[in-house]
Amino acid sequence: MDFTHSYLPNVPEIKKKMMEEISVTDIEELFADIPQAVRLKKDIELPGPMSEYEVLLELKQIANKNVSANEMPTFLGGGVWNHYIPAHVPQLAMRSEFYTAYTPYQPEISQGSLQALFEYQSLICELTGMDAANASLYDWGSGLGEAALTAMRATKRNEFIVPRSISPERRSTLEMFSRGVLAKITEVGFDKETGMLYLDELDAKASNETAGIYIENPNYFGVLESQVKEIKEIAEKNNALFVVGVNPMSLGVLKAPGDYGADIVIGEGQPLGLPTSFGGPLLGIFAIRYDKKFVRTIPGRLVGMTTTVDGTMRGYCLTLSAREQHIRRERACSNICSNEALVAITAAIYLSTLGPTGMKKLGELCMANAQYLQKKINAIDGFRAPLFNAAHFNEFTITNLDGSIEDVHKRLLTRGIHGGKLLTNEFPELGETALCCTTEVHTKKELDKLITALQEIGGSL
Amino acid sequence: MKVGDYEIQEGLYYTKEHEWAKVENNKVTVGIDDYAQKLLKDIVYVELPEKGVAVEQMKAFGIVESVKAVSDLYAPVSGAITDFNTRLDDEPELVNTGPYGEGWMIVIVPSNLEADLANLMNAESYAEYIKKLMEEH
Repeated sequence: MDFTHSYLPNVPEIKKKMMEEISVTDIEELFADIPQAVRLKKDIELPGPMSEYEVLLELKQIANKNVSANEMPTFLGGGVWNHYIPAHVPQLAMRSEFYTAYTPYQPEISQGSLQALFEYQSLICELTGMDAANASLYDWGSGLGEAALTAMRATKRNEFIVPRSISPERRSTLEMFSRGVLAKITEVGFDKETGMLYLDELDAKASNETAGIYIENPNYFGVLESQVKEIKEIAEKNNALFVVGVNPMSLGVLKAPGDYGADIVIGEGQPLGLPTSFGGPLLGIFAIRYDKKFVRTIPGRLVGMTTTVDGTMRGYCLTLSAREQHIRRERACSNICSNEALVAITAAIYLSTLGPTGMKKLGELCMANAQYLQKKINAIDGFRAPLFNAAHFNEFTITNLDGSIEDVHKRLLTRGIHGGKLLTNEFPELGETALCCTTEVHTKKELDKLITALQEIGGSL
Repeated sequence: MKVGDYEIQEGLYYTKEHEWAKVENNKVTVGIDDYAQKLLKDIVYVELPEKGVAVEQMKAFGIVESVKAVSDLYAPVSGAITDFNTRLDDEPELVNTGPYGEGWMIVIVPSNLEADLANLMNAESYAEYIKKLMEEH
């Protein structure tokens, strides 16, 4: 069907002209390379042209099949967390000065954007207890990949130790990053009783070939790692770097990794004012302890603060760019040439308006909700919550002792509840287990709805 | 001797990439010359290898970063590094103030000295080389 419309440039006359230009008489000549066998030999059955209103209506009807976390109590977490985003956060982030498709880095015209990114870096340093943060990476996963590469550059070694108890998705990103540099990823198991790292195994595996030792705190199961002092000692003994991954939301109530000896801190910045939106955009936090040589191995953009030549005015500009690809080319310290500028600025707005007291209150609330839920669920016959005997932040495991956790999950869905993330494929050694997440958005009513539903389901199993 | 504004110290060997090499008691001290430091302008960072690292003639052994550019440092001769200038860590500007003196970078124990020196320029031919570069720019 040749459909002509003034907004569609590919009309028959233009098509004809283009074909004449390249000496093609039949459009089929251009598709000659596509084997007949794989070709669709009939027209695609599409409805006729629709008005804008009709299209919108149909798309809305399709979109309405989705149920958002606001309409249905949702206990998913495991890497992206549903927190409340105060109205002023998107309002400020969407100001036209920030809202641009490309981040302007020319200091002559971009002092506002550069200052906002500098503020983001400063806030991340304060939160993590580190000395220097970059202007963000893509997500926690790319942060882990870059942290491993940074540790290898700094130590000139190529083994990176990771616990089994980290996010499997992040782990696969790390493996992808390490393929090109032929890094060796060594895994250390976790204690089935406490969910914490096996110290003896770590001590045995760490050596003078280890570039870095990585832990997540809280780990993927929500467990708080209390052996950080011992892990740091093992890293130090082997002259390896100590890399810590965090959910930044936990740092209002937990000790900053900088205070227990972390050399690199990474994390997922999404909880800091960013929507869950099908898992993105995310925000990679990356911060390091200051060391003159070390700071030159940091990947990504760094915004610095300086003064004008006459010393009268403060100014901001990209700094230490000699690490980066546009100057070092193939010898750049990282392939990353960009960052998540607008997303980082959004996190800076969120953090600066919430403040340290707000972060503390919020962390306490997330933890209190998790505590309440854990206790109540653990009291239900047939369930164990959490599986591990340890302190947890806002996530914890629920195990079905009598049957399938997926079955429980499906029954919750029919009751209008989205239960925790199933871990049966990722961690079969944990049995019939799911990862349950609570934040400040869960009201007591919602928590009780989950508890009641589990009581009913438990009783019928 | 001087070519334009640039001091070229006699008795040294030079590379096309503007490193100098001073041979004494079977040890080769290496730095960058006056021409290089003037072109680079204020030097803010020098990255040098550790002791014991093996270097190959005209392969990169380190990095010099100035406010203007970042450049690789090339080894004038092959061998093993036995010393490096630790002062440059905190005072990289020594390369600007004393390129042939306090701004020295590494000491190499050469493995193939005679053959390697044959590939380098002496002060006279280096002066000609700099004159040519100045005419080109």
